[in-house]
Amino acid sequence: MGTVVRIIVTLIIVALAVLAGRWVWERYLHAPWTRDGRVQAHITTISPDVSGWVTQLAVQDNQKVEKGELLFTIDNARYQAAIEEQQAAVKARELAWQLAQHEYQRRTKLARNNTISQEELEVTRISAEQARAEYNLAMAKLNTLQLNLQRTRVKAPQAGTIVNLDLREGNYVSQGKPVLSLVRRGSFYVTGYFEETKLSLIHEGQRATIKLMSSNQPLTGKVVSIGEAIADTNINRNEQLLPHVQQTFNWVRLAQRVPVDIELDPVPENVRLVAGTTASIHLNEQ
Amino acid sequence: MLEEVAVGGMLFSPLIVFIPIAFVFSVVTRFALFKTGTYQKLWRPAWCEVSLFVCYLAIVVLIAGGY
Repeated sequence: MGTVVRIIVTLIIVALAVLAGRWVWERYLHAPWTRDGRVQAHITTISPDVSGWVTQLAVQDNQKVEKGELLFTIDNARYQAAIEEQQAAVKARELAWQLAQHEYQRRTKLARNNTISQEELEVTRISAEQARAEYNLAMAKLNTLQLNLQRTRVKAPQAGTIVNLDLREGNYVSQGKPVLSLVRRGSFYVTGYFEETKLSLIHEGQRATIKLMSSNQPLTGKVVSIGEAIADTNINRNEQLLPHVQQTFNWVRLAQRVPVDIELDPVPENVRLVAGTTASIHLNEQ
Repeated sequence: MLEEVAVGGMLFSPLIVFIPIAFVFSVVTRFALFKTGTYQKLWRPAWCEVSLFVCYLAIVVLIAGGY
């Protein structure tokens, strides 16, 4: 074999290696994939609309519930008593209204034969109106109290699964304070945190292959949205309202990550999705 | 698809598997070259070996990576 041929063979192999190495490098660095994906779900935090003791807890931890199913009931004695009180008040207002109306009707007749002044008639008419308004007010208050009574039975706002139930019978729950959370059924999706260097390769509608850490079976889906903002740490201020500008090395920059939401295609039955678990995401390049 | 290798709950780069595979191919090639006597005829055999390793690695990534 001539020296020239030997040199050429080696050079060809080296050139091939350069091309192949470059291809691997490009693929590793610039393909739209991430190991930093998370399974997400719509979580509803459930807070009671009224305060009181929990008298009956109808669900267990991790129980599946249907929409409208009873979750827990709050002691309703106080709300029941308030209703009774208000019912009595409504009755009183009703009687007061009847009386005022009766007076007005009687005075209407008297006014016809000019026994009383027009002014007096007007006063009784207004009193009757006022009594009616007070009756309406009492009725409205009764409705509110009845609503409160209804709200002592806390129901599931949608079908899903209870998670991390820490509520026990006898606990005191406060109005508006979350006491349990619900994972909405079928609301699972995946968020991939892609490096900003790969952002130009990602677009809505792109097909994605998702591999969960918990299962070897790949899932598929498509990109539905790309986050439009992430926090900038340089905006933080100190007590003197001066910006906290982060120091960086002149050459080394870490690519930040942008969340990309991916809608899942129907998931096979043997795959269990758990919100918060890790997933690797690879987007098809087209 | 580039996949990670999960070992005991830790994720590793797939290259951790791909590199040894490529290395095994390189060793086999080297043996073959020695046996056939081609090795001595190569110009700068070390360059060739390293280059072949990189080529093998690319091939492994191409096949195992699913492209």
